[in-house]
Amino acid sequence: MPESLICAGCTLLCDDVTTDGRRLEPECALGAAWLADRSAPAGDAPEATVAGTPADGKTALARAAQLLRGARRPLVHGFAAATIEDARAAVTLADRLGAIIATGAPAQPWPGAPAFPLRGSSTATLGEIRDRSQLVIVWHEDPETTHPRLLQRLGFGAGRSSTRVAGSRTLVVVDDRDTATARRADLPRDGPADRDVAARVELFERFDGGRHATIVYGAALATGAGGQRRELALHELVRRLSHGRHVVTLSLAGTAGIRSADDVLAWQMGYSGTVDLASGHPELLTVTEPLIDHERIDLALCIEDDPREGVPTIVLSHRAEPVDAEVWIRTAPAGVAASGTLHRLDGVPLTLRPPLRSAAPTAATVLADLLKATAI
Amino acid sequence: MSTEIRISGGAIHDPANDVDGELRDLCLKDGKVVADVGPDARRIDARGMVVMPGGVDIHAHIAGPKANLARKLSPDTRRADPLERSELLRSGTGGLVPSTFATGYRYSLLGYTTVIEAAAPPLAARHVLAELRDTPMIDKAFLILMGNNQVLFELIRASGGAVSPQLRDAIAWWLAATGGYGVKLVNPGGVEVFKQSNGDVDGIDAEVPGYGVTPRQVLEAIGGAVHELGLPHPVHVHANDLGVPGNATTTLQTMDALSGRQAHLAHLQFHAYGGGVGGSESLPRSRAPELLDYLADHKELTADVGQVMFGDAMTMTADGHVSAVLRDLDGGKWVNHDTEVETGCGIVPFTYKAGNYVHALQWGIGLELFLLGSDPWQVMLSTDHPNGGSFLSYPKLIRLLMDRGFRDDQLGRANQKAIKRTALLDGLDREYTLNEIAIITRAGPARRLGLRDKGHLGIGADADVTIYHDRPDDREEMFSTPRYVIKGGELVVEEGDLRRIDDGLLLSSSAPFDGDIDRVLEPLFADRYTVSFDHYPVRDPALREPATIVEATP
Repeated sequence: MPESLICAGCTLLCDDVTTDGRRLEPECALGAAWLADRSAPAGDAPEATVAGTPADGKTALARAAQLLRGARRPLVHGFAAATIEDARAAVTLADRLGAIIATGAPAQPWPGAPAFPLRGSSTATLGEIRDRSQLVIVWHEDPETTHPRLLQRLGFGAGRSSTRVAGSRTLVVVDDRDTATARRADLPRDGPADRDVAARVELFERFDGGRHATIVYGAALATGAGGQRRELALHELVRRLSHGRHVVTLSLAGTAGIRSADDVLAWQMGYSGTVDLASGHPELLTVTEPLIDHERIDLALCIEDDPREGVPTIVLSHRAEPVDAEVWIRTAPAGVAASGTLHRLDGVPLTLRPPLRSAAPTAATVLADLLKATAI
Repeated sequence: MSTEIRISGGAIHDPANDVDGELRDLCLKDGKVVADVGPDARRIDARGMVVMPGGVDIHAHIAGPKANLARKLSPDTRRADPLERSELLRSGTGGLVPSTFATGYRYSLLGYTTVIEAAAPPLAARHVLAELRDTPMIDKAFLILMGNNQVLFELIRASGGAVSPQLRDAIAWWLAATGGYGVKLVNPGGVEVFKQSNGDVDGIDAEVPGYGVTPRQVLEAIGGAVHELGLPHPVHVHANDLGVPGNATTTLQTMDALSGRQAHLAHLQFHAYGGGVGGSESLPRSRAPELLDYLADHKELTADVGQVMFGDAMTMTADGHVSAVLRDLDGGKWVNHDTEVETGCGIVPFTYKAGNYVHALQWGIGLELFLLGSDPWQVMLSTDHPNGGSFLSYPKLIRLLMDRGFRDDQLGRANQKAIKRTALLDGLDREYTLNEIAIITRAGPARRLGLRDKGHLGIGADADVTIYHDRPDDREEMFSTPRYVIKGGELVVEEGDLRRIDDGLLLSSSAPFDGDIDRVLEPLFADRYTVSFDHYPVRDPALREPATIVEATP
């Protein structure tokens, strides 16, 4: 009997999905990979390892607590596959440890200060875009690959959701690549390599008379050299155009876990991104060097993400196979064998509904145990 | 083991029980006010002190996606206001929208024990609940936004604007699905028009395009349904045309539409403006006296003031059109976020300047609403935190009300052209008494929220108590730093320091509804939401429990 679940294969968190335990319906390549990753049987895999040697969970927890107590400059990071509950427990532990906490990949150079605190943004949930936008512009992204059901859920293409927009709707793709999304565009691809947002204003002039438009963007615009400037330009354009018409944006950047952890960090600490708690209170970090080297991190606690090289690491991961780490503890895979809450790419919170059960603890449970075990 | 406390010899200000400064003992046991306690009870010597119920904030914005976007938008304002971690406390940051733990701590340090988050998108209830679970020290509840809900529009249109059983059931269903406490209407119909075309609805009798309903019908139908359901708190209304010169006319029409049934008007100051018709009368002016006259004749209506305080504020509202106007005035940061089917959201940091005509007029109108009104049970204290200013400014606002000399000094610093267009220079010498302060900051809000065990100190009341040094010379200092705060019968604050952490309770309301409403709602959900009907309700025990459920009394 197929069971309903919410697919966390990408940040769309499609909640109209069923599974027989092996396949998802409707089909989706990312969803299938997500389900396979999280339903892989543990087999003979240990519940934990310490220095690469199989160990029981209690032993691993004790060693992890010992390492955390002895760390001078610990880092709590990751969250790609974490839930709100995991993140709440992680921020609590980081606060107690006086750690740095980072949502995302600390081995990479900081992508630049985010644009949002400088100017803000105009955004909307998926239903608003589906039922109001006459024009949707996809800006140097390929959601057909990264968010396979996005266009369908916004009311475009085969199998699309019905839209309440009367009359025609236009999908424009601005890109210099021949992507699957570009091939779906209603207008000829209009993609010089130049990514200057302000130069794209003529797209809106074509849209004369339309009342509602959306610009979909992501990491290609907002990260890397000049990312902040480009994102600021996008939001300035939106402000300028928001007279007599309603214009919103939708960001595809990040994973649902990182988006959710960022929200938790903001509500518990007041900042999102990378926050240093060593001084006894939160300080926003905007280092431009790889964090682990720059901050002389001596121990990392990686939560539901890929660990980084160059630093001893405690890993909490739902993956069945242990990774090379000082301590590795297997957790229950959220969404498939454990519940939890995630925030969708547009901020809508959803509760995962796992069809399976796991004997493994959730990351939140392990983190709560670590909080107790590290108490002085 | 329960804690027994005897608060000895304080001046009790318990207006809900007609107690006005009586010197006597107050006994607490098992989290409640009791007639007596044993000889081993902890004794708090309150001689020379003022004893009040814990503060109750009927209208603030402290949690949920809107507050969190405001936090992310304002790292600059919080660097200078860190909260240090301790053995007892979580760290965090302050600023105009403090982090969740800081919010709970700071309300408690101010003597408040209950706070209402006044505008939550139902679709975001999980987020709101998670933040409230991370907000300690206070009991808390949230009001769900329903004034631009397309599904309810359909039900109202189907009933021709009348209260229908389906509408009642739908509202009760939504409260059950979210854990909300009450129903909030924000710019009914207007937010939908803003999301359609960046505009606003043209008066309360204009039709919302595409829906065949008017704001008046929304007010009457949802207000009526809430009234008939008997929810503990009546419909809570942010009227149309907030901030617009001349909007007092709309406000009077709104009050008229709501009259005859219980209703609460939010931040009335922002809706009390005259002017705006061109010529010499185009400058905004005060029409607060007319609104107060209307309230005096309609005891079924109440309001909170939404006082603006000079200085920095963070405007954040479900009324996205207002934020777009402020964006164009200010040119600074601006956030807009549209939530499908239900509501909008706008955020703009803002500074109220004493020398600015409009800002000074807003400040003066707020004081008029407090000082010209005849019944403090009807007009309650709020700054619409953080829209008019932070909740941390409440002590200064209280001093403005209690200390004419201080008020006159502050009046002299404000734009005189604006102040002359208020009644504040007309020999207005009223000074609030301690009992009146107790009414507008705890007894009145608790009564209006239907929280029968809060806002008073009678036998059986919640043992939420605040004890202040009596400082007639400086009421701001007095109300800034309570000597003691007791929450749920436990001493949590002593002389400005937190002594004990209390998780605080979630307050929800419940009204019975016909389960067949599912058959009405499900197809409407399928047609409009991108979240399925089955996944919409919040069922997570960790978010919903523990909670105090206040039952409706039709």
